[in-house]
Amino acid sequence: MNGSVSGALALRLAAFATAVVFIQIGVVSEVPVFGVNADLSSLLVAFVGLLCGSTVGAACGFAVGLFVDLALLQTLGLTSLIFTLIGYWCGRLREVRDPQSALTPLALGATATAVSLVGYSLMEFMLGVDAPVSFELLRQIIFGIVVNTIVALPMWALTRRALESALPEDPRRRRRRRAYTTGGLSPLSRP
Amino acid sequence: MYDKTVRRRRAVLALLVVLSLLLLTAYFGEAPNGRLHAVQRDFLTVVSPIQDGANKALKPVRDLFSWFGNTLHAKSELAQSLKQTDKLRRELVADQEEKRSYRELLALTHLDQLGVGDYHPVTATVVDKNPNLWYLTITIDKGESSGVRVNDPVINEEGLVGRVATAVGDGAQVDLITDSSMGVSGRIGTSTATGLVQPKVGEPNDLLLGYLPGNTQANAGEYVVTAGSATPGESLYPPGLIIGQVTSVNEESAYKSVNVHPVANLHNLDIVQVLTAGAGTPASNIGALAANLPAARSASSGEQLASTQVGG
Repeated sequence: MNGSVSGALALRLAAFATAVVFIQIGVVSEVPVFGVNADLSSLLVAFVGLLCGSTVGAACGFAVGLFVDLALLQTLGLTSLIFTLIGYWCGRLREVRDPQSALTPLALGATATAVSLVGYSLMEFMLGVDAPVSFELLRQIIFGIVVNTIVALPMWALTRRALESALPEDPRRRRRRRAYTTGGLSPLSRP
Repeated sequence: MYDKTVRRRRAVLALLVVLSLLLLTAYFGEAPNGRLHAVQRDFLTVVSPIQDGANKALKPVRDLFSWFGNTLHAKSELAQSLKQTDKLRRELVADQEEKRSYRELLALTHLDQLGVGDYHPVTATVVDKNPNLWYLTITIDKGESSGVRVNDPVINEEGLVGRVATAVGDGAQVDLITDSSMGVSGRIGTSTATGLVQPKVGEPNDLLLGYLPGNTQANAGEYVVTAGSATPGESLYPPGLIIGQVTSVNEESAYKSVNVHPVANLHNLDIVQVLTAGAGTPASNIGALAANLPAARSASSGEQLASTQVGG
């Protein structure tokens, strides 16, 4: 994908992101697992980057971050900055490596969550916000990554289902699909 | 073509990062009543009805997940509760005797028995919860249109929950007592000395009652309550609201401090009450007079200290 976004994709993306943020705020944030809560918004940004590329990933990260900061009355721009970087680098991963392993969303979800939680903590420290620094913070970060890794696969499936039909056809994937289905990978099958 | 795509991609990233940094700098540098804060409050005003609706629609889903979690904890909580019931039954007999003498004292000063009802409580539903370690806040569905104002105390059936940080038309944001910005003037139930209850650094779910005189008697299991104010306007909180239970005592300096565990389950808030009668109103004046009764007379040192802190 070269970064251009069709109207249908933009609409789907906006509706899906809004729904995910509301579900995050209204349900997920009130259901603690191991004493922490899953963070669907960072997973959403990472997976949008992985599906749609770096430009769309960065733009989606900025918008979702801004929405979260506004809705939760947090420091404006902080989540946007972190999510922009997450969306961009997940998009670059797709553009440069195009990973196809079934475990890619799992690893990407864990990495995105780690970057989000650690980045958020570092930024807060740099801004001088008075907050507890302890094993509790470390525990929350570690358990946050574990919980997000658990929900990464269902979230990936949901994101792909919501967006895939609106995504433009990717030539690389089309070639790969044809190769798999026609036996084109084997040199013996060539005429 | 490729160069153009790369240039555009990098330009978008740079633009978004610069925009985020500008927002961050402007927001962090401006006063709480600045333009960006106002935009945030306006946004909350717009989305709070939607959040309220979504909260109601998604409540069954939330309850289902909560049910699984609660069932797992129920067994351990049952044994603990039975033990606590025995202890409380014994304490009840002693407390009833104390209550009788307390009523006599109140009658002597021609005051009605002080109750939360005097503080015009407004019942509100928690629509959002921010579980972030950095922002221990909740959002409620009652705001300025219901008489809720900034700094109003917020309680639930268990005890003190926090105070209103931001209020808009139909919603308000509440800082929980474990938020780093909080400070409440409190005293141990059986003691007359007051101190300042603040979140414990390193233990975000616990509190610390500090600045107590060195000779203060404190035992694990005793209740810590709000001290209220000796004069109207000194403390934001009415006297006698339960904050938590003493878990241990620290004596490492001239001042004594005790570790306190909040009685209110701050992770499972559903319905709260906002005490909308502000300082200086008749209700809070009753509270101030009640704080002068023998049970809380030595509001001098701790209260003076607390009045200099954020949140009073």
